Amino acid sequence: MSEMVKTDYSRRQFIAGMGGLGIGAILTGAIGGTLLRPDRAMAIPASKGYIVVDTKKCSGCYSCELMCSLVHEGKENLNLSRIQVINDSFAGFPNDLMQFQCRQCPSPACVQACPTGAMHVDTENGNIRTVDASKCIGCERCINACPFTPSRVQWNNEAKHAQKCDLCQVTPFWSEKGGFEGKQACVEVCPNKAVALTHTIPSQTGDGGYQLNMRTEKGWAKLGFPIDDAGLVIGDNSLPMTKGAEPSHPAGKTGYFTKP
Amino acid sequence: MANGFVGKILRIDLTARTTSIIETAKYESWGGGHGIGSAIFFDLVKDKKIKAFDPANVVTIMSSPLSGTAVPACSGRTEVQGIGAQSYPIEWFTRSNFGGRFGAHMKYAGWDGIVLEGKADKPVWLNIVNDKVVFQDAKDLWGKDTYETQKDIWAQVIGEQMDTWHSATSNRDGGRTTQRPAVLTIGPAGENLSRIASLIHDAGNGAGQGGFGGVWGSKNLKAISVLGTGSVELADPKALADARLWLARNYQYNVDDPAVVTPLGGATGVTVSEFGQGAVPLFTRQPGFGPELTTPVLEPSRPQGCLGCHQNCRIKTQSGQGNESQCVDGLFSSFNTVATGDELLKATDLFQRMGVNAFEFVGLMGYLVALNKMGVLGKGKKIHTDIDIANYNSYATRKALIEGIAYRKDIGKDLAEGTVRAMEKWGRLADLNTGIARFPNWGYAQHYDPRIEVEWGYGSILGERDINEHDINWAVFWQPLAAFCIGEEPAYSAKKLSEIFAEKLIPYNDPKMIDYSPEGIYSDAKVKMIAWHRHYTRFYKQSLGFCDWAYANFINPSSKDGKGYTPEAEPKFHQAVTGTKMSFLDGLEQGRKIWNLDRAIWALQGRHRDMEVFAGYVYDLDTAVPYMLPILKDGVWSYDPCQGRRLDRAKFEDWKTRYFKFEGWDIKSGWPTQETLSKLGLDNVAAELKSAGKLGS
Repeated sequence: MSEMVKTDYSRRQFIAGMGGLGIGAILTGAIGGTLLRPDRAMAIPASKGYIVVDTKKCSGCYSCELMCSLVHEGKENLNLSRIQVINDSFAGFPNDLMQFQCRQCPSPACVQACPTGAMHVDTENGNIRTVDASKCIGCERCINACPFTPSRVQWNNEAKHAQKCDLCQVTPFWSEKGGFEGKQACVEVCPNKAVALTHTIPSQTGDGGYQLNMRTEKGWAKLGFPIDDAGLVIGDNSLPMTKGAEPSHPAGKTGYFTKP
Repeated sequence: MANGFVGKILRIDLTARTTSIIETAKYESWGGGHGIGSAIFFDLVKDKKIKAFDPANVVTIMSSPLSGTAVPACSGRTEVQGIGAQSYPIEWFTRSNFGGRFGAHMKYAGWDGIVLEGKADKPVWLNIVNDKVVFQDAKDLWGKDTYETQKDIWAQVIGEQMDTWHSATSNRDGGRTTQRPAVLTIGPAGENLSRIASLIHDAGNGAGQGGFGGVWGSKNLKAISVLGTGSVELADPKALADARLWLARNYQYNVDDPAVVTPLGGATGVTVSEFGQGAVPLFTRQPGFGPELTTPVLEPSRPQGCLGCHQNCRIKTQSGQGNESQCVDGLFSSFNTVATGDELLKATDLFQRMGVNAFEFVGLMGYLVALNKMGVLGKGKKIHTDIDIANYNSYATRKALIEGIAYRKDIGKDLAEGTVRAMEKWGRLADLNTGIARFPNWGYAQHYDPRIEVEWGYGSILGERDINEHDINWAVFWQPLAAFCIGEEPAYSAKKLSEIFAEKLIPYNDPKMIDYSPEGIYSDAKVKMIAWHRHYTRFYKQSLGFCDWAYANFINPSSKDGKGYTPEAEPKFHQAVTGTKMSFLDGLEQGRKIWNLDRAIWALQGRHRDMEVFAGYVYDLDTAVPYMLPILKDGVWSYDPCQGRRLDRAKFEDWKTRYFKFEGWDIKSGWPTQETLSKLGLDNVAAELKSAGKLGS
C-alpha cells in the first residue's frame, strides 16, 4: 500500500466539451484556436512565447525548479516550481530523466476548463496562459484538464490557488524583467543551457516541438557528450585546437588552454 | 524569522522507537551542519569515550540553512557525524558528507536534521513524509543492496507510477510532489558491521569515510526515506536570485561557448598513459569532470549534478552503470588498467551497491598486490586467500574483494575491519613504516602525499580522518600537474598563483602560505595556511554545505580575470538566505569555534599531541614520483616536482608547537585552554574538559 496518494491526471478526466482538441491540435498563426466551452465559444490568440528544453542536455540539478520557486514565491519548494524535472538515479541515459514544462498550448485546455476566468489568456502580456489568483476558487478543473502527465498546472497548497508557468511575467522576487519579452528564471539559471525561450509556436505533434537539440559541436561535443538527436554517439572530444595558438584568455598561456 | 532554517530537528530513539523534537533555534548560532552536529553530540553524549557500535553513540544527519535553496554547489549536501568505526587506533568522533538531494528533502519535510540514538531490537527503516515519521520493519530489505533497497522504498512510498504528482496526504493542502523520496541506506557491508561501510543515497552519493554504514548496521537501521512538500523560507529571496545569476554569469563554465576547452582523450576514453589528459578537466571544472580522471566517457552519457549545482560534475551513462559515481569510486579499477569500460563501471557500481567505502581501496589494493608479490598473501600462503590477487585487473577479483568485505568472506573477513586493523591481525603493522602500506594518519589511506602537500597531511593528522578537502589542492597540485602531464606550461604561473592566493586568503594575505619548499612546509606562513583551512572548511563547507568540489574557489578559468569567487561568494549567499550580516572573516571565526569544539571532543576521547604523528614512511621514505607544487626559492616562484622529500620529525614537532600557540592550545598536550574556549563562548566545554583533566594550560 503506497504511503502517498497518487494523483493521476489523465486524459480521461478531460472535460467533454474539449471534444477532439487537445494535445494533437496543430494550430499556428495569431489565432491559436477556437475552444468550445459549455456556454460559449471563444477565440484564443496564440502565446508569443514558449519554453523549450533539451532533455538530453539536462543534468537533473533542479536549479530551474529552485529558481522558479524562488522568483515567483520568494521561497524554495520544488513542488511549487512551474517546471518539473523527474530523475531516476539508476536508469540509463537518455531515459533516466524528464523535464516537464508548460507548453502554452495554442488550445489551452486549462483556460477552457476554468469556470471563473481565473485561468486566462493575458492579452496584455504576450497572450501567456496564466492564473489570476484572486479569481481562483480552487476547483482544480484546470489541473485536471491539462492533457499532460504530470499536469503542468499545479495546486499551490500554501497560497491556495492553481498556478502555472507565466514565462516569469509576475516575479515579485526577481530584480530582472520577465515575461515573453524578458527573461525567464529557468532559462537564465540552467548551467547547461538546456532550457530556452522561443517566440515561434512549436509543433504540437507529440513532444518534438518542445524537445529540441540544443547541443553544440563547439561546446557539448568537446565535453564528450552526444550531440546527435538520439543521443547515441559519444561526442568527439579529441584535441580541439592547434597547440601553441595565441591565448585569448588571461588564464591561458598555451594553445591548450585557450578559447577555441 | 525567515532565515533558511525550518525550525525543527527530528530526534529518533531507535531503542524505544519514539521520536521527539529539538528546536533548531537552540543550535542556530552554530551556523548549520557540522557546527550543529558537534554541539548536539557534545550535549547528548555524556561519555565521549564510548565505542562506535555502542547504542549510546549519537549520529547526526544535518542540513544547513542553505540546503534546498538555489545556492549553487551547496544546496544538496548533508553532513553526518558521530563516533566513527573506521579510525585507528581510537574510534574518533568524526564526520562525513554526501551530495544528492537528501538534506534538501529533509528540509522540505520540515526537518533541519535527524538525530539517531539507541539501537532497534530488529532491523527497521524510517519512512518520513513531511511531519509523519513511521518506523517500518526492514526484514524484507535486510540483505538487499543499496540500489535494490532504494527502488523498493520508492515503490512503497509513492507507488509504481513515478512520473506524476503524488499527494502527501489525502488532503490536497498537504502538498503534492513529482519527486521520488530521498533515501539514505546501508548495503550488506553496513549490515555486517564493516568499519569501512558507507551510507549511500541515490546511485553515487556516499558518506564513505568514518564507517557510518557499520554504525547504522549496529543500530539495526537499514535506511531513512524522506519526502517533503514544504517550503524553505528565506531572508532575501531577491538577493539570492541575483547572487545565483551573478555566479552563473561570471564564473560558470559556458557549455556552448567555453572560455577554456580541454585536451581530453579520444572517444575511447582515458587510459593509464593518458592519465594527464584525464586530469585536465579537474582544472577547467567542466560538466562531467568528476569521473573523467578514472571513469571517462565510455558510453553516451549526460552530466549529472546534485540539487542546485552549477557544475554538475558527474555523469549518467547509457547503460546506467557508473551513474553518479566519480573519482575514487572508479579509481582502483582504472588505475589497474581496466580490461573493458563495462567492467570498470560494474566494479564502480559494486562499491555503491554493497555500501563499501571505495576510498579504502586506494590504499588497500596496492598493498594486497604487494603482499601477493612478496609471497605473503595468496592461496596457501601465510595469509591465505582463494581470491586471485595476482589477477587484480579482472572484474572477478574486484568482485570477490568487494563482496568479500561486504559479506565477511575469505580475507574480506579481516579487511571488513579496515586495512590497518587487518594488518594488525596479520602482524604486519611494520608495513606502515616501510611504505608498503600507505595509511599515514588514523588508519586512513593516503590521499595526497603528507610529505609535501602538507595542508592535506597536517590537516588530517590534527583532525581525525583524511580531510578530503580539495580547494587548495585543485589549484596548487592539479592545475600544474595537468599541464605538465601533457607537456605544457601551467595556465597560472607559480608566481601568479601565489599572488591570487595572497589576495584571497584573508585576513593573512601571505603568498608564502602556498610555498611547498622544504623550508616553506614548516614556516609560520604554513601555520596560518593550516589555520585558515581548518577554520574555513569547518564553517563554510561542513556547516553551511558549500561543496568541496566548488569551494573555496581561488582560480577560475571561466572568469574574466582567471580568479575565483572566494571570498566574495560565500557571505553573499549566506546573507541572502539567513539575513545574518556575517562577513567572510566572521565565518572563519565561527569555523575556529567549531574546530575547537571538535578538538575538545577528541581530547575527551583521549587525544594528546604525542599521538599526532604520521606513519613511519612519512618520515623515513623519500618521495619518488614527480609531484608538482609551487615553491619559493631564492625569491623566485616556480613549480617543483618535489622529489626526494620526506617529513622531518623534529621540524614537524616544532611546527606543531607553533600551530598550537597560534590556535591558543596547550603546547604540551594540544588541548584547548580555558582562555581560548572562553573567548569563543565555550565555557561549558572548558568545564567538561576540566572535570576530565583534559583542559589545556
